[in-house]
Amino acid sequence: MIGLIVRRFLQLVLLLLGISFLVFMSMHIAPGDPATIIGGPTASASDLEAIRNDLGLDRPVIVQYADYLGGILQGDFGYSFQTGQPVTDAILTRFPNTIKLATASMIVAIIIGIVTGIVSAIKQNSWIDLSSTTFALAGVSIPNFWLGTMLILVFAVNLQWLPVGGLSAPIYTIEGMKELILPAITLGTASAALIARMSRSAMLEVIRSDYIRTAKAKGVKPRSLIWIHALRNAMIPVVTVIGINFGGLLGGTIITEQVFAINGIGRLMIDAIASRDFPIVQGTVLLVAAIFVLVNLIVDLIYAFIDPRITYN
Amino acid sequence: MPADVAFNEKNITPKKKERYIVQTLKRVLKNKLAFIGIIIISIQIILAIFAPILTSYGPYEQNLAVTELGIGEEGHILGTDNYGRDMWSRLVYGARISLIVGLSSVALGLIGGLTLGLLAGFYRKIDGFVMRIVDLLFAFPGILLAMLIIAMLGTSLVNVVIAISIWSIPGCARIVRGSVLSIKKQEYILAMKSLGASDVRIMLKHILPNCTAPIIVFATMRMATAILSTSALSFLGLGAQPPTPEWGAMIAAGQDFMWNAPHMSIIPGIAIMLTVFAFNVVGDGLRDALDPNMELDL
Amino acid sequence: MKNKNLFQFITFLLITVFVVVGCSDKSSSKSGGTSNGGAPSELTYASTSDAAGLSPIDTNDSVSSNVTGQIYETLFTQDPKTLETEPLLAESYETPDDNTWVIKLREGITFHDGTPFNAEAVKYTFEQIKDPERAAPRASLLAPIESIEVKDEYTVVLKTKEPYGPMLAALSHTNAAIVSPAADKEGDIGKNPVGTGPFVFEKWVEGDHVTLKRNEDYWREPAELEKVTFKVVPETSTAISMLETGEVQFIDALPSDQLPRIESIKSVKVQKSEGTRVSYLGFNMEKAPFNELEFRQAVAYGVDQEAYVAQLNGLGTYNESIIGPKVFGYNEEAKNEGYPFDKEKAKEMIKENGYSGEKITLLTANRDNYMKMAEIVQSQLTEIGLTVEIETMEWATFLDTARKGNYEMTFLGWSNSTADGSELLYPNLHSDNIGSSNYSRYKNEAFDKLVQESRSTVDQEVRKEKLHEANIMAIKDAPWIVMEHGTVTAAYDKSVSGLVVDPTGKWSLYNVSRK
Repeated sequence: MIGLIVRRFLQLVLLLLGISFLVFMSMHIAPGDPATIIGGPTASASDLEAIRNDLGLDRPVIVQYADYLGGILQGDFGYSFQTGQPVTDAILTRFPNTIKLATASMIVAIIIGIVTGIVSAIKQNSWIDLSSTTFALAGVSIPNFWLGTMLILVFAVNLQWLPVGGLSAPIYTIEGMKELILPAITLGTASAALIARMSRSAMLEVIRSDYIRTAKAKGVKPRSLIWIHALRNAMIPVVTVIGINFGGLLGGTIITEQVFAINGIGRLMIDAIASRDFPIVQGTVLLVAAIFVLVNLIVDLIYAFIDPRITYN
Repeated sequence: MPADVAFNEKNITPKKKERYIVQTLKRVLKNKLAFIGIIIISIQIILAIFAPILTSYGPYEQNLAVTELGIGEEGHILGTDNYGRDMWSRLVYGARISLIVGLSSVALGLIGGLTLGLLAGFYRKIDGFVMRIVDLLFAFPGILLAMLIIAMLGTSLVNVVIAISIWSIPGCARIVRGSVLSIKKQEYILAMKSLGASDVRIMLKHILPNCTAPIIVFATMRMATAILSTSALSFLGLGAQPPTPEWGAMIAAGQDFMWNAPHMSIIPGIAIMLTVFAFNVVGDGLRDALDPNMELDL
Repeated sequence: MKNKNLFQFITFLLITVFVVVGCSDKSSSKSGGTSNGGAPSELTYASTSDAAGLSPIDTNDSVSSNVTGQIYETLFTQDPKTLETEPLLAESYETPDDNTWVIKLREGITFHDGTPFNAEAVKYTFEQIKDPERAAPRASLLAPIESIEVKDEYTVVLKTKEPYGPMLAALSHTNAAIVSPAADKEGDIGKNPVGTGPFVFEKWVEGDHVTLKRNEDYWREPAELEKVTFKVVPETSTAISMLETGEVQFIDALPSDQLPRIESIKSVKVQKSEGTRVSYLGFNMEKAPFNELEFRQAVAYGVDQEAYVAQLNGLGTYNESIIGPKVFGYNEEAKNEGYPFDKEKAKEMIKENGYSGEKITLLTANRDNYMKMAEIVQSQLTEIGLTVEIETMEWATFLDTARKGNYEMTFLGWSNSTADGSELLYPNLHSDNIGSSNYSRYKNEAFDKLVQESRSTVDQEVRKEKLHEANIMAIKDAPWIVMEHGTVTAAYDKSVSGLVVDPTGKWSLYNVSRK
């Protein structure tokens, strides 16, 4: 087990190294010069030269990359081209919001997903099953930017039940919870649908399996059968989906943050790409990728715990 | 793929293969949702092919005298947009774009994924290296990967296709590699190897056909993702650019008119949802019909 | 309207779906709508992006200026309605000769950190702006100034190499605001700004909001508002929804497409007035056939700006003059000196000169109203016999491409932040700036001379005449075809009063109050 963890961590480091190289190079190859954005339309050629020199962009790309890596080893992720703020600070300001959003969406997704999944598995082929399957598939099919705008129009503007956007109140207050509801639904719907689909098929498989039949034959009550015996076993694949999705959610917050004016990592990233703020782009991409890989690692470990038959080689 | 390729080696004749396909199709059609999905996709294909016949206005044809007409007003079935362009014809031409973008990005992704997956599965030496590349692609959140690629190549539909196809590679590669690993140890493959069959021949004629089922399912589901991602990128201003009647771009443009002309964003929104829904249910149905235990990394 | 029905139907559908799924929110049903938020002495303003920094010396964008404009003050200021220059931190000025400006400063003012405001502070600020090491983006504003001398505690003397006509306009520019020398030397005023203005910096959560509080020790009457928040809301439609629900009270630079919606909100007031921004269709004068006058004329005749402006829901006006009505140097005569829409004439010219079917790429940035212009102009030029393809780029790539001259025709705009014609013609059309801000690569010696004279003359009447002549010359030469002269806009909650947006789009919150 420990060997596995160590090996996976080494892989993670190599992976991040690869990603940092790719991102670094692609940003430098990309058309669009950070200096022209900072200088604005009026800047003269010599102004731009001065800005490039100031940012160290006039050095060979490889030297810049080596410098960047050297910095990372000392915990220095560079400074934003636009604001001069350290990248770590820029990320730390926004990260809590993204975590809040992703967690809230995951909660929404898990509750809706598992309940619908189980109900439709128990009542297989009934109209409930059909409609919840339809719902699940519709859920993954709705463009979330569209869903978000619609929700705002209905619940925030027309009905005025919930605020339109922003995350400003602390999470433990009612205001803070209310702010999270619409974005969480927007972001969580697709995951809810995936979880529902996975729960349904996992449940079906377990229900049909021998030991449940045996338990049934022994006279275990149907309700406890489903909630205790079947569910626990069905959860293994569901945990995987949840894990993968949570990692993906962090990268998928971009659109939701944009629509709901949430100051998170996704928006930081898209703004940084648009303004060619290289250090911020690299920092955020590395963060999101690292989380994705770590979450997957954790899922694998949980998996190994839940089901000792699984081995990794 | 050559016609004489069998689904399973040994002694399945072309006739049996035919029966296998027919049976699978029958099973898919029995699935109510998948049936609906197939109908939706067929309608979309018909719309896309016969777009010029089905519309009486060009998708780019402006008429500033009749802007923001509602549904059914003045001979415009679905109304007009803020430039007086006919929403119906934009929708229909948009179906073309969605299908073309979806198909080409999935096809490109499959080519990349198949190549990587076959190589990784077949040659142990490069397996580790190739799969690390695949992991690397996997670790990138899709939309971000697409954004980076588009920042590099510029905003256009072609680049969207490239971005989305790259994003399909890792999933496909994993599926193919998995199948290759499980098949290549089988006796008949080992036998063919000892008989001197070339690697390429074994790969294309014997291993590839065995991955067909999961790949078909993967490709169908992937169509859904591709269409959804295209529209998301267009919404962010990175994909199709106005006046291209791409649905996501139409929603983005329509958002400014939510109040006066909600149909401008509601109609393309429903179109995307239906299409993506259709591909998802068909993919689901196919999976159930082919092999309910199939596992996919999507 | 049928659309409303459809909309209600969708609303209904969505509600049903969410109720069925069981995630209708019970806790929130008790509140009958968010109240028009914030205490009456507070104001929240929403903008689509965050400030780049809070130092007037080191920034150049309007979002930053909106914030710094409340914290810092300039020596002179322009009346928001008439655009007349009047002293602010200065008390008076005189010009003993064309190259010397003696400015008397107001006494008894202190910066927010207690540093006294005096001639040294002015000298320090201006020298920082001019220092190449600092690489201030608007260094060009003060470039003609050769030396800054402190004559006594409250008198500065500015000396120029040659007469500098737009001096007062330059000194009124937000980026020429005076900063506290102590604060700038000791810390980063981009993060902790210190000025003399009516509001004091409180907090900046980057990417989310900036808050300012009232300066109780302001040298004039303290402001009415106690607290001001600048909030970042990237999607305009979200910002409008927030304005409607009272989460924000003030937004500006309204997109024309959303105007009908904003105007339909009962609790919101919309302010519109003529602005200094000019948007144009520009040719790359170094490429054929765009370097041929006949071709540019034909295009000019073929573009129907009125049809475009009609799409702006009452924002924007059209007039053939490059220098707009709100800009210094405008003369009524100029407005009919161009090439008015005449489709037949355009077709004829295209045919006569053998341009038929000419393939043109129209480079367009995918922001502001440029896409709208491109879509309309493309269809108009197609009608006169040209083949036009739109090439869209995101802003970063666009700037790079346009600057290098890798385009044929493009749309751009110029927000004239000093409302002075020299500040429009010099950077954009003077041949000194080919390769940087003269994107059209326009080169005309007679024109250059006139613009140069308009800059190096101190007599304002003479300057006006020179600018007018230069303007006419450029209109005739048509490196640009004007698309519209912008309208400055603001929408605010009805409880807000005293807000005036000046023609350059700037506003001050000093006189704003809430009921």
